[in-house]
Amino acid sequence: MDVAVQIIASGLTLGAMYAVSTVGLALVYGALNMLNMSHGALLALGGYVCFYAMTTLGLPAVLGMALAMAVCAAAGALIYHLAARPMLRAGNFETRIFIATIGIAVVIENAILRLFGPQPVAQPLKLPGAAILDGVHVPYQNMFILAVAVVMMGGVAFLLNRTKTGRAIRATAQNRDAAQLMGIRVGRVYAQVLAISGALAAVAGILVSSLSGLLPNMGGDPMLKAFVICVVAGLGNVYGAVAAAVALGILESVIQYLLGVQYSFAILLLIVIAVLIWKPSGLFGKQQVVRL
Amino acid sequence: MDRTLAKPNVITGRRNFLKGAAALGGSAAVLAAVNDGARAAGDPIPVGQAAPLTDFAAADGVEFRNGLTLACEEINALGGILGRPLEPHFEDTKQMGDATNVQAVQRLIDRHSVHAVINGYNIGSGAAIQDVIADSGIIYVHYDTTIGHNNLIKADPKRYYGSFQGDPAEVWYGEGLLKFLKDQEAAGSFKRENNKIAVILSAGVYATNIANAIKDTAADYGWEISLFETVNVPISEWGPTLAKIRQDPPAVIAVTHFLPADLAQFMVQFVTNPTQSLIYMQYGPSIPAFRDIGKEATNGVLYATVVGALQDEIGTAFETRYKDKYGANAGHNSGAQPYDGCYVWATAAALAGGSGEPGDDEQNRIVASRMRSLIWRGVTGTTRFIADENTAYSYPTQTRDSSLGMPHQFLQIQDHNKGGLLVAPEPYSTSSFMTPPWMKG
Repeated sequence: MDVAVQIIASGLTLGAMYAVSTVGLALVYGALNMLNMSHGALLALGGYVCFYAMTTLGLPAVLGMALAMAVCAAAGALIYHLAARPMLRAGNFETRIFIATIGIAVVIENAILRLFGPQPVAQPLKLPGAAILDGVHVPYQNMFILAVAVVMMGGVAFLLNRTKTGRAIRATAQNRDAAQLMGIRVGRVYAQVLAISGALAAVAGILVSSLSGLLPNMGGDPMLKAFVICVVAGLGNVYGAVAAAVALGILESVIQYLLGVQYSFAILLLIVIAVLIWKPSGLFGKQQVVRL
Repeated sequence: MDRTLAKPNVITGRRNFLKGAAALGGSAAVLAAVNDGARAAGDPIPVGQAAPLTDFAAADGVEFRNGLTLACEEINALGGILGRPLEPHFEDTKQMGDATNVQAVQRLIDRHSVHAVINGYNIGSGAAIQDVIADSGIIYVHYDTTIGHNNLIKADPKRYYGSFQGDPAEVWYGEGLLKFLKDQEAAGSFKRENNKIAVILSAGVYATNIANAIKDTAADYGWEISLFETVNVPISEWGPTLAKIRQDPPAVIAVTHFLPADLAQFMVQFVTNPTQSLIYMQYGPSIPAFRDIGKEATNGVLYATVVGALQDEIGTAFETRYKDKYGANAGHNSGAQPYDGCYVWATAAALAGGSGEPGDDEQNRIVASRMRSLIWRGVTGTTRFIADENTAYSYPTQTRDSSLGMPHQFLQIQDHNKGGLLVAPEPYSTSSFMTPPWMKG
């Protein structure tokens, strides 16, 4: 029994980490049809800003997280103004911005390397203690990450479905030209979405680094997993992405126990291939252009 | 080559000059003596390094650069190589694939005409750099810690005369661990609960070779492998692996995966429900982040390195100089590798009458010959190369004489607020092995 609890607890932890990393990426793709390859670097930036705020500036955890969200939101808006905006009217926007954001990621990672150095450091924002479930220790931090993933998903759902900004985002996602004709300032919507995604990336970076530690390239692995999950869920589907993240986390944990850790990622990729053959637009994706 | 000698302008007077060299520790006085009071004022000798200055191994790459820079500065203060100062140049190897490594080394040769390449490690390095070195006729010292180097040189020692591995191959980690356990059992400081060893490794030549070395030699020391689990990198959730360990508890858990944050998470998750197992890890615990993340959970962890700065008079003096220059958090153990490598090469070159530029095979063959005949006492212990393998001997597994091999150091974290204490081998150890807090005494 304790083995089963251990596997589920590990699976939920993995799923929660994947989910928090995925929400921002899925939001940007859903709203802007833009695969933001600098999302992983924004994760790292958020983690480091929180670290700096708490250790050097001596700010409390809440302010540290708020500052990280503000900085990453600004970075997201900057990505729009410097890279996305000049390319919007050009052909092959998706391909161009994909490549451009790879370059932005390299710049951000190297800036972090210069500013904070190459040595790994521990993230100070962490909940101490653990609950004991059937003899298995489940750290509060892991539960916190899962809760934050659900809150992030709920927050994004609220934003998209219940606010004026959300309506503008959905309208832009459905048809950019039509939205513009209806008086929506499409450029501002793009900037807003990238800023929101940046803030979400900051939260994800802080939470992931609370388990994995801070390194300038720490966003690479979560970014890869987030991308896989986005593809499985259907690119751009925020709710599907969170559900897929948790499901894949548990599946990965079961595979690790039954078959061995080395097979888990390979099998996950096989599942992705199978899903794409069965449902090319992903488990929760739709064939038409409408996303979110 | 300008070999005009002049009075030293850094350390004045012969007595102070030699006194200064002695203060640097190790065999630096040999270089000072050969330089015979020369002032490093001639044409600079370019020396190169191809290191992972960015990407996932940047933490070590930056220290490799620091180590070579410090060595060059000190050697120049001792008169350089027969009056010619060393001038370091660096190229980034990023993720350390051989395609990148070879380009980086080639650039050092083409752009800067380096006489030697003194690296730390490049994990993805196979035999490609050695070929570039052989073709250009210069000297190469690296710390890739791979048996592949030994096999390559052995296959064609004439072609690869100039390539040296400054530390022992990784395979010595395997038998070294088993010998360490045997010694601890003999001393009564460790008693095995059973004969099982669980080996956890990550995909990659380095971690795999060490794990295989443990597996291949275990039976000779009365051990059996109960678990041989490969993990993906990075890994922060160890639940499924720990569940297997807890179902069949081994006497020893050997983790050859080396990323500090991953290893810290292993300990955090292990100590919540520990088995009566001694835990041995690779490299990661030597990085402060391991203790910062794992905190109390890291107390008792044993780890080893076949190359690192010793905690003796010479090693601690180096650590002080290094941290004074690069900051309290600088990783002097990584910097120690190219630091010692540069001294070995520079001393051999001075003994050979100078170093050779690219294409000067004749001179560099003499330099290589001097390197092979040197017994160099540096900050990492003794560097002595195996003939026709150009790789350092390992002490005490490969040679039983501590003055003839590089010590395979076993360290243990006994207080997570401090670095690991050197518990073996003699005569270098500074502390005794402590039963880990999760194990019954």
